[in-house]
Amino acid sequence: MIEVKDLVRQFKTGDRTIKPVNGVSFELEKGTLASIVGKSGSGKSTLLSLLGALDKPTSGDVVVDGVSLAGLPDGKLTEYRRRDIGFVFQQFNLIPNLSAIDNVMLPMEFAGMRKGARLERARTLLEQVQLDPEKHSRRINRLSGGEQQRVAIARALGNEPKLILADEPTGNLDEQTGDHIIELLSSLSRDHNTTILVVTHDRTLAQKTDRRFRLQQGQLTEEAVRPRVVAGA
Amino acid sequence: MSVLARSVGNAFRNKIRTSAVVAVLAVAIGLALSMLVANQAVGSKVQELNASVGTVLTVNPAGGQGFEGGGEPLTTAESATAAAVPNVVSVVGTKALRLENESATSTSSTGTTSQQGGPGGGPGGGTSVTTSLKAAIDAGTLGNRNNTNSNSGAAGGSGTGNSGAAPTFSLPITATGIGAEVDTSGKALNITSGTGLGDYTAASTKALLGTTLADKNGLKVGSTFTIAGKTFTVAGIFDAGTTFGNNAVYTTLAEAQALASTPGELSSMVVTVNSMDNVDAAKTALQSALGSDKADVTQGQRNLETAVSSLDSVKNISLVAFIAALGTAGLIILLIMVMLVRERRREIGVLKAIGARNRTIGLQFVLEALVLVALGSVVGAAIAAFASGSIASALISSNSTTSASNQRGPGGGGFGGGFGGGGAFGGASQLLTSVTASASPSTIAIGVAAVFAVAVVGALVPALLTARIRPIEVLRGE
Ligand SMILES: Nc1ncnc2c1ncn2[C@@H]1O[C@H](COP(=O)(O)OP(=O)(O)OP(=O)(O)O)[C@@H](O)[C@H]1O
Ligand SMILES: [Mg+2]
Repeated sequence: MIEVKDLVRQFKTGDRTIKPVNGVSFELEKGTLASIVGKSGSGKSTLLSLLGALDKPTSGDVVVDGVSLAGLPDGKLTEYRRRDIGFVFQQFNLIPNLSAIDNVMLPMEFAGMRKGARLERARTLLEQVQLDPEKHSRRINRLSGGEQQRVAIARALGNEPKLILADEPTGNLDEQTGDHIIELLSSLSRDHNTTILVVTHDRTLAQKTDRRFRLQQGQLTEEAVRPRVVAGA
Repeated sequence: MSVLARSVGNAFRNKIRTSAVVAVLAVAIGLALSMLVANQAVGSKVQELNASVGTVLTVNPAGGQGFEGGGEPLTTAESATAAAVPNVVSVVGTKALRLENESATSTSSTGTTSQQGGPGGGPGGGTSVTTSLKAAIDAGTLGNRNNTNSNSGAAGGSGTGNSGAAPTFSLPITATGIGAEVDTSGKALNITSGTGLGDYTAASTKALLGTTLADKNGLKVGSTFTIAGKTFTVAGIFDAGTTFGNNAVYTTLAEAQALASTPGELSSMVVTVNSMDNVDAAKTALQSALGSDKADVTQGQRNLETAVSSLDSVKNISLVAFIAALGTAGLIILLIMVMLVRERRREIGVLKAIGARNRTIGLQFVLEALVLVALGSVVGAAIAAFASGSIASALISSNSTTSASNQRGPGGGGFGGGFGGGGAFGGASQLLTSVTASASPSTIAIGVAAVFAVAVVGALVPALLTARIRPIEVLRGE
């Protein structure tokens, strides 16, 4: 359960102040698959980094399972990122001189998982995102954009996070592979009760999520409630 | 993939840069190790010297030295005074006799003690008696020149007639009564066969002979000879290391005093001080305790002290150079790591964004620095193994040029002084060249440990800098 309370993030550029996130409040139940849409530069990535404790809000708070992020010291925030969050960056942010599988194993290593276990899990995850087995040990900078994107998704799933924050996870993928990734994410929310928040420009992807938000002028508005439930009824 | 594996991988990420860094580090580390090796080699030599000869003072009657000069003789009572001076470890009295071969002194009445100048007269302190022994040294040019000198000196004394003995002149033999088993410079006697004299304070007809003197006279342990008509048994043969030193006889102190009919009188005292640092203070204290009108206190091994101080300065130079080279290695590491941290800010941000602890990242950078240092140390140790010998001798030879000129100073004394100075000078230059710097594994190990310690400190600063990097920076290609 995630509660976002009146979140504000402002940036000062020269003598201008912009507020891409300006008073955002919402709640997400456990196991929800949600999406955020919005124009380029509307503040989607900014909002996601606040939820993932990569950045600190100017004001407001994020409460995860009753724990307020605003009150946590840096060490605890690192632990929160390591254990509770799976973050898929818009620019992937993989370590270029490591292989695909080594990148996927990194968060597991930080979490103290044994070497054999992390190797096995990393393989499984890379298979789940449909990366060719022969490319598992290939260095990141020798993979295509779409391949890198899938490695980034696999890395985010390593520690079985309770919240996955994915910034345009299908932006570089063909339709078929993109659909597969969406299927993977929705099965995680269904079967593992993982809460997932996806930023996307892709309307069809957004259609498949439980809840759809739009970010506009710093404000978050919900478009329609539970389309899947409505469609199934 | 572990932290260590990642660190090693990162160290080789840019091979050209890694090679350059390792090369620079190797020079600094090699220099540091060479300096440490030189420092240890010189240090152990200094210790060895200090332990042996650097702490000995010689007390002579005021105005006299050896068989030359005048003044009042020293007494056994004064040796007690000397022993009471602070920092003095031991006082050994000696009584020197000049032995002349019976055939060479046939003009004077054989078997009687001929006093060559009493106290206050001509040459003081020395006493000539006859012996059956033949000197082991031929007079030669030096001997004849010295003989002329000493005869002209003797003319000023009571002039007991051996001045007519010039045609059959042979060098005198020095017989010294000693209060302990040491030579006149305070060094322990090296007895090569037989035994010592036992109680050196009691009268005894046993004697110790120098190797060449024993050979020349065909004497072995147990053989007999005479001094002043009295029969002595050879108890032991010693090797003083020099021809002059081996042309000598040692008896007990009491025996020599009896032979010279001067009980309680001493020719000189050999005073040992507890440490090199206290020698100067003890010398001053000794001089004032004995009275400057009564006794001259000299540092018998002044030249060795000069050698030691020049070695000491080499030691200090090498220590400073070691620390400087070590510091340089640390600085190189510091700068390289600061550069690497700046270069990899984004990557560090990513690692933090996916949950890496600050200490994990810090450790990764320290390990990477240590990989570079390990490579630098291997090459540096090889450099040191080749260079330390020549570096040490270069350091020492540049320093001994100045010390050699100092050493000539005290060498210009009389008969005894001249020989003593010359011998010791030879010894000093020998010890300077005998400092061989060999890169022992333990020294290299100590040096490498120091290098690693410095490297850890150098790498820790940039590693701690990584803690300040905020993960959000990765989202913006800053
Ligand atoms: N560190 C910063 N300093 C100043 N301005 C910033 C900073 N970070 C983001 N912005 C600005 O905030 C706004 C929101 O940026 P953000 O990256 O969140 O947009 P976005 O919705 O993710 O866009 P896109 O769909 O193109 O990824 C942009 O106008 C951007 O210029
Ligand atoms: Mg964005």
